Amino acid sequence: MDEKSKKALIHIVGEENFTDNLIDLISYSKDASGHSHRPDAAVWPTTTEQISAILKLANKDRFPVVPRGAGTSLAGLAVPEKGGVILDLGRMNKIISVSVTDRLAVVQPGVVYADLERVLAPHGFFFPPDPASGTVATLGGNVATNAGGIKGAKYGTTKDYVLSLQVVLPDGRVMRTGSKCMKSSSGYDLTKLFVGSEGTLGVVTEITLKINPKPSLSSTAMATFEDLEDAGRAVSEIMHSGILPSALEIVDQQTLIAINQNTDLNLPEVEAILIAETDGHTREETQFQLNKVIEIFKKNKAATVKQADTKEEAEALWTARKSAYAVMSRINNSLAVEDLSVPMSKVPNILKTISDLAKKYDLKIPTVGHAGDGNLHPTISFDSTNPDEVKRVEQASAELFEKVIELGGTLTGEHGIGLAKAKFMHLEHDPVAMDVMRSIKKSFDPNNILNPGKMALEVQDGSQI
Amino acid sequence: MEAKYDFERKYRDQVLRCSNCGFCQAVCPVFGSTLRPAYNARGKMLILKEVMDGTIDLNDELIETLFQCTTCAACAENCPSGVNVPDIIKQVRKDMVNIGSCHPAFKGMNEVLKNHTNIYGEDEPEDFERERNKKAEYVYFIGCVGSCREDEATLETLDLLDRLKVDYTLIDEVCCSGVLEDVGYDMNEDLVRKNMDMILATGAKTVITGCPYCSRTFNNKPQYAELKEKGIKVLHISQFLKDFDFGVMTDKLVTYHDPCDLGRHCGIYEGPREIIRKIAPNFVELRHNRVDSLCCGAGGGVRGAYAKNSIAMARRRLEEVEEVGAEVVLTECNSCVHNLANAKLRKQKFKIFNISQFVNKLMEEAE
Amino acid sequence: MEIQGYNMPDDLHYEENHFWVKEEGDLLVMGMDDFAQTMAGEVVYIQLPDEGKRVKVGKKFAKIESGKWLGKVYGPVNGELVAVNEELEMNPGLINDDCYGKGWMYKIRPDDKGELANLIYGPEAVEKWLLAEIKKYAEE
Repeated sequence: MDEKSKKALIHIVGEENFTDNLIDLISYSKDASGHSHRPDAAVWPTTTEQISAILKLANKDRFPVVPRGAGTSLAGLAVPEKGGVILDLGRMNKIISVSVTDRLAVVQPGVVYADLERVLAPHGFFFPPDPASGTVATLGGNVATNAGGIKGAKYGTTKDYVLSLQVVLPDGRVMRTGSKCMKSSSGYDLTKLFVGSEGTLGVVTEITLKINPKPSLSSTAMATFEDLEDAGRAVSEIMHSGILPSALEIVDQQTLIAINQNTDLNLPEVEAILIAETDGHTREETQFQLNKVIEIFKKNKAATVKQADTKEEAEALWTARKSAYAVMSRINNSLAVEDLSVPMSKVPNILKTISDLAKKYDLKIPTVGHAGDGNLHPTISFDSTNPDEVKRVEQASAELFEKVIELGGTLTGEHGIGLAKAKFMHLEHDPVAMDVMRSIKKSFDPNNILNPGKMALEVQDGSQI
Repeated sequence: MEAKYDFERKYRDQVLRCSNCGFCQAVCPVFGSTLRPAYNARGKMLILKEVMDGTIDLNDELIETLFQCTTCAACAENCPSGVNVPDIIKQVRKDMVNIGSCHPAFKGMNEVLKNHTNIYGEDEPEDFERERNKKAEYVYFIGCVGSCREDEATLETLDLLDRLKVDYTLIDEVCCSGVLEDVGYDMNEDLVRKNMDMILATGAKTVITGCPYCSRTFNNKPQYAELKEKGIKVLHISQFLKDFDFGVMTDKLVTYHDPCDLGRHCGIYEGPREIIRKIAPNFVELRHNRVDSLCCGAGGGVRGAYAKNSIAMARRRLEEVEEVGAEVVLTECNSCVHNLANAKLRKQKFKIFNISQFVNKLMEEAE
Repeated sequence: MEIQGYNMPDDLHYEENHFWVKEEGDLLVMGMDDFAQTMAGEVVYIQLPDEGKRVKVGKKFAKIESGKWLGKVYGPVNGELVAVNEELEMNPGLINDDCYGKGWMYKIRPDDKGELANLIYGPEAVEKWLLAEIKKYAEE
């Protein structure tokens, strides 16, 4: 990237909002995935106009631009694979308005999820898609990945809540999508195109989100299973039993072993633990739903079933699930977090596959996940300084994805494709679908300057169709 | 590959264990007020990983982030992978100083302490109208910030000790010099020796410090081991005052800021609260309290080297005071009082005091 | 006038701790002079007391800090503080950037404007004083 472009960027955002210092280039070279590449510079824009000018400049001078929120992507979405400029949206972090009457909140992309939750809570409202990284992740990032979360089984994902966006297109033009209405069927649904587009079709500068009234009560129960497939069957049955739990999470044996090694929770090292939560406005309601869940736990040979009687007990039951990432990351020095999803009926099958692959490739693959919507996170723990182990991880992942697709599943439930799964896109999407995706990208971004190199949008030799 | 720097020799495993999850961004005070990832714990670990890989060497360009960390340990507390960033940073700073790469403020501080008695180079601090170096049961050790920057607060604490009829003496104290080890240097053995000699000469069996950093230094650094060997106890003033009955009360809405050096670093959370609840039953917690307390921004040498960012961090903490509507913020650390007081905006009408200072004010009013 | 690189305007009165004073109607404006601002380094904090505070000649009424130095602001005359430069709350560096203009600090209503005569004034007096100060600081 040449000095002329850098000077032009400084002219747009001001000297104090531009950097090409070494410490920044290194910090921006990674997100939470294993991928890494240095950018040439980074800017901290604060207005839509600045972003528009930056993208216009990028098209003129042909340098890549990579939008970034908190950089917690597990798939390499925020890594500047082709260099260029990082557009750090963290300083566009205002909650512009909250309207309980219109049931919406308008935010800038840099707002941290937890800050929005805190502002909505006194109104008795919440924004349901709650990613585990909610204390750091930004809403712009949630929109880019169509983030899910623990409440996904009942409440859906980010795309179900985005009413309207303000977007700066790769050529610098600014547009609005959607509307502030609860329902609209007007024109192409461009909002849904941008949500989950991983920052490759435009830079989101304002987000209008639908918010939900927060149920005031919840009931929680945990069940242990000696047999993984019994747990899988329980999950399937619960999800078609007539009620929808607000959360249904699974924690597998490898994870339980890791938890016990690192904490004094002393959990039984069974093949699987399921944690279910039901919510509502009366105790009768939440209990009625939970009773159905408990019935199904028992029908599927749960070894033990425990219901929490108090808020503290519920928190204690959840600790196992919430401490999973922490203990997994201490098993070895590296993690490969997968994010596959399968149809509900196939949950038992995929659980078995993961367990078989761990044995076949001699790897530790602790698995937790949103069993309630079929979205699991098998997390391969390995030593990245051991080339043989790294190879086995790659082979295991590849075989895992093949099996996932065979079962009718998808490569990613909520983390996105980014760099991590780009090379498997052709397994899931047929050539016509890939061609259509590439045409859309080309139509929005003919010079391929916005977050290039992601999502298999470029063909093998780096050029675009 | 043979490790080039000490930090790698000691902490290679930890640096590698950082999984770049970024969760530290939620709690880091420097990141919170600047929103610059290079300053965050993750950014620092990414940089150190590259140093370990040999892609870059330690050099001046890294000063801005490696020396800008308050060592508050909020990141370490929240790190899923158990990476102790502040310990690693303190070691890296020593490696940086070894290669001649250091922030001028800290280089300056090390020089100043070779020739002066405190970090400010001010050799005529307040005498607080009290005798020094006499025989007494307790030594009251003020600390540099209390002597040179928060003399009003110190005076009130001493007034309180007088009201409580504590048999204490001041000494011609010199900087405990603990801070040098945090910013890349070694403790100043001369200063350590002077302090110990003066303390021993008073015959006191207990040292009470106004500053939690000084009490940590006296209690934990091997250079001060002789104190323990001679049976001398070191307490922070909040520990000393815990069991007194002051006989005064206020109905003001009061909150408490846990200083990092008392809270996260020493695990002392309830003692100060016990004192406050006795005198101010109308008590409310800040959003980030106890182990989650938000650093005021002064520690780790940041107030000396990056004063503007330091005050910005304090300002952010004071927003939490506004949030709970407190009329008084109490703490028990002169460094916190100083930074918070500098950061307070004119439109913010709450007051900032050390607990001991506040108790003294209440007792004075009651007379 | 300029004295050894320090800008010391002739039309100002100077308090011996390096504060300049200027008449503005029936009020006095004060700030820090170029010599002090240079010696202090970047100002990071200046205390802005509430309006109405009594100012006593020769007595400290506020604090000012740079990264490495704590200074006291002394009353140049007896009077009442009627205004402070609120810009300095978020931008204390104005004192370094423009110590005689945007970096003004306080406005005082003097009990007796005649007290101005006790301050250092006029090119000869200012030059003699500042040269002595420069020498004094060089020796420290």
